[in-house]
Amino acid sequence: MSNDNSQRTVTVSIQRFDPDVDKKPHMQDYQVEMTKGMTILDALHEIKTHQDGSVTYRRSCRHGICGSCAMLINGRNTLACKTPLIDEVNHKNRVTLGPLPYLPIIKDMVVDRTTFWQQYLRVKPWLIPPDDIPEKEFRMSKEEVKALHDAESCIMCGACYSSCTVIGLNKHYVGPHALLKAFMRVMDPRDEAPGQRLADLDGADGVYRCHTVFNCIDACPKGLNPTQAIETLRKLAQKRKKFETTRRKRQQHLQESIPAK
Amino acid sequence: MTNDVIIHDVVVVGAGLAGTWAAMTAAENGVKDVAILSKIHPLRSHSGAAQGGIAAVLNNVRPVAGTGPRGPLEQIPPGEDPVDSFDLHMFDTIKGSDWLGDQDAIEILVKDAPDVVFQYEHMGCVFSRTPDGRIAQRRFGGHSAPRANFSADRTGLVLLHTIHEQALFHNVKFYSEWYVMDLIIEDNIARGVVAINVLTGKIQMIRAKAVMFGTGGYGQAYKVTSNAYANTGDGVAMAYDAGAPLMDMEFVQFHPTGLYRHGFLMTEACRGEGGYLINKDGDRFMSKYAPDKMELAPRDLVSRSEQTEINEGRGVMEDGQGLFLDMRHLGREKIMERLPEVRDLAIAFAHIDAIDEPVPIQPTAHYSMGGIPTTADGEVLANAKGDLVTGFFAAGEVACVSVHGANRLGTNSLLEASVFGRRAGHAIADFVKGGARLYPVTSDPVKRNHQQVQQLFDNDGPELVEDIVQDLKTTMTNKAGIYRNEEDLKSALDTIHKLQQRFKNIRVMDKSSRFNTNLSMTLEAKHLLSFSEVIVQGALNRTESRGAHSRTDHPKRDDESWLKHTIAHKGEDGRPQLSYKDVTLYWDRFPPQERKY
Repeated sequence: MSNDNSQRTVTVSIQRFDPDVDKKPHMQDYQVEMTKGMTILDALHEIKTHQDGSVTYRRSCRHGICGSCAMLINGRNTLACKTPLIDEVNHKNRVTLGPLPYLPIIKDMVVDRTTFWQQYLRVKPWLIPPDDIPEKEFRMSKEEVKALHDAESCIMCGACYSSCTVIGLNKHYVGPHALLKAFMRVMDPRDEAPGQRLADLDGADGVYRCHTVFNCIDACPKGLNPTQAIETLRKLAQKRKKFETTRRKRQQHLQESIPAK
Repeated sequence: MTNDVIIHDVVVVGAGLAGTWAAMTAAENGVKDVAILSKIHPLRSHSGAAQGGIAAVLNNVRPVAGTGPRGPLEQIPPGEDPVDSFDLHMFDTIKGSDWLGDQDAIEILVKDAPDVVFQYEHMGCVFSRTPDGRIAQRRFGGHSAPRANFSADRTGLVLLHTIHEQALFHNVKFYSEWYVMDLIIEDNIARGVVAINVLTGKIQMIRAKAVMFGTGGYGQAYKVTSNAYANTGDGVAMAYDAGAPLMDMEFVQFHPTGLYRHGFLMTEACRGEGGYLINKDGDRFMSKYAPDKMELAPRDLVSRSEQTEINEGRGVMEDGQGLFLDMRHLGREKIMERLPEVRDLAIAFAHIDAIDEPVPIQPTAHYSMGGIPTTADGEVLANAKGDLVTGFFAAGEVACVSVHGANRLGTNSLLEASVFGRRAGHAIADFVKGGARLYPVTSDPVKRNHQQVQQLFDNDGPELVEDIVQDLKTTMTNKAGIYRNEEDLKSALDTIHKLQQRFKNIRVMDKSSRFNTNLSMTLEAKHLLSFSEVIVQGALNRTESRGAHSRTDHPKRDDESWLKHTIAHKGEDGRPQLSYKDVTLYWDRFPPQERKY
C-alpha cells in the first residue's frame, strides 16, 4: 500500500532495444522524481517527454481498460498504468522494466503481437447466432450472464499470453486469451455452434496443450481466471454431443421469459 | 522514398464505435473494399472506456411505485403500461442540450436507439439482465426514465469488442497503428488521407472514394481529463486544416466524477445506482443546486455545483479541490454486481474501497460536444449554408450532428456513435454503389507531409513539446474550463498564440523511423494547439451561458442572440473565422424553456 510520504528520486531501469541500431537489448537507467500517486506509466511519460523521447512503449487510456501498456515490471507481466511506482521500487529505490516475454521486440517495450491476434481470430471471436432473430432481445438469465462476465471483462492486454510457458515454447498453441474468448462464445446460450467450436479446440494445440501452470491467473491485471475457463472447455469437449443437445433445447426458449424462481 | 499509393473504396479513420459501425455496415451492405486505419490497435479505442450504459427507450423496467425518484427499479410485467417514450427521451436530450441540439437529429437518435441496442444484443453483446431475461436498465443523469442499457460498468468495452468482432467477420481490413496525419480535400472533394505506418515510419497516401472520420474527441487539451492519451482531437484538427468547418467547439463537457487527481471516470452509474455527492461538511450539496434531480441532474449543472463548492472552500483533500462520492449505503452486493470496475479502479489508484469509504472525485474534462458538422447521415457540411464536402463522412465524438447541443446526457454518446456510425455506413454504401469516383490527387501530399516531418526532425530548437502541451492544458483548464469570462478567454487566446509560436522552436528527441511515438506525440501537440484556439475563440464570442459553456460575465442564456451553432473555418491568416447556423427546432413540440432541474 502506498503511504505517500514518498518524494524521492528513483531509478527506472529500462530494457532498450531498437533492432535497426542495436545488436542486442541493453539496460538503461533513468532518474525520476517520484511524486504522490505516480504510476509506472507516469514515470515512463516523464522520461519520454523530458529526458529521452526514444524510450518507446504503448499506452492509451491510463486506467486499465484499453490493454495497451502490458509490460514486464520487476519480472512480472502487468499494466504499467495500474501499477503504483512506490509499490515496485526496491530498497535501492529501483524498478526494472522490459517488454512482455516470448514475443519479438519491435522497439523497447513494444512487442510484435501478430501471433496473439492470429490466435484470437482463429477461435472466431464473433457470436454465431441462431437463424431466428427476435424483434427485441434474446432472453438470457442472470446466471447465464454472470457466467460470461469474467470472460467479457478481458481487455486483450496479453499479460497472460506472454506469461504462459507453453506459448514460450509453441506459438501454435491457441493461448489463454483466445481460449477465454472461445469459452465466452461456447457458454453463450445465443451461440449456435458450441459443438463446432469445441471440436476446433480439441486438437493438439487447443485445450489440452494447457499445462495448468496458472501463470495466466497470476498475470491477469483484471483478476480473471483463464485456466478455469480452459478446464471447463476440456470437460465440455469430452461430452460435446450432450452439450450440443442441451444448447439446442435451450435455444428453443431463447425468445421466452426466464421463468421466476 | 517511394510514393506507392494504397487504394480502397472506403477508408475509415478511427476504430472506435462510430468508425467500426460505419465500416462494418458499409461492408455488410455490399461494399467489398473497406479499410480502417487506427493509430492504436482497434480494441484500444476509447469507446471501450465508457462505463455506464447506452440509452434507448425499451420499457424493460420502471420505478417501484411509491418509492420516489431515487427508489428501486423493477421489471415491467408483460402487458403493463410503459413508463418511457420517444418523446420523453427527445425532451430530456433537448433540455440537456439547453436547446442547442438539432431536434430533427435528436428524433433520429432516439428512434434508432432501440434497434441499435437490439442489434448489439443479436451480435453477441452481453448485457446485464432483468429477472425475466430482458436487457436491464438503470437511471442516468438528466434522463427522466430508466433507459440506460448496460453491461455492469463496462458497457463500452463489451460494445467495442462486439462491433470489432463483427467487422472482422465482414472482412473489413484493419491497418493497426497507422497514424493518419493529413486529410486530402481538393475542390471540396475528399480524396484520401496521408498516414505514417508507425511500425516502419513510412509515409503513405491512402486514396479512397469515401473518407470517414471516427477519430473521437479532444479532452487531452485539458489538464484533468477522463480522456485517453490518444484523444488529441486529430480528426477535428485535420479537417479544420483541410478547409472543413468545425461546429460548436466551445462546448466541452466536464464530468462531475473523475477520480481525484487522476481524472478518469467513476461512472455516472455510481449516482444512477444511488450514490451521493458530499462536501467536506458531509452535506449532500446538490440539494442547493438541483433539489429535484439531486445527484442525477445533468453533468454541466453538477460539475458547476461542485466547482462552486470547491471555490467556496467546501472541497475535500489537502488542496480542497476534491469532493466525495459516497456509495457505502449501496452495500457490497450491489457494488460488486453493478460497479465492479470502478470499485477496482478506486482501490488500485486511490487505495480506497468504495464499499467502506467515500471516494474522492473532481470534475474532469470528458466529452467534446463540438466537432465536424454533419447531416444525420454522416455527410460533412462544407459551410453554414449546408453544402456538403463530397465523399467526406464523420460520426461519433469527432462529429457534431448536433444531438448534444450545449451539453450531452450520459449514455447518449455510446448511442450517438452507434446510431450515426451505422447511418454513415449506410450512406457510404449508397454513395459508393451509386457510382462514386476515385478522384485523382493533383497535389503531392506525401511530399508535403514528408517535408513537414523532416522539418520537425531538423528543427532541434530549445523547446520541449511536453512543456508547451502542459502550458496549454493549464491554460485551457483555468481559463476555458467550467467557468469562463471575457478577460480569461482573451488571455487564453493570447497564450495559445504564444504557444503556437513556441511550437516553432521545438525539438523531437527521437528521430528514428521505427515505431516513433515521439513523432506522433509531436503531431498530436500541433493538433491540440490548432483546435484549442477554435474552442477559445468560440467561447469568447458567445456572450451567454448555455449548457457546458458558462460565462460568469454573461450568466443568462440568450436565445435572442445565441440560439445558433458556431461554425469555424480556418481563415487565410490561420485564425478561426466564425459564422453561425440556425438550430433546427420543432417549435410546436419542444420550444425553448427555462432549464431547471
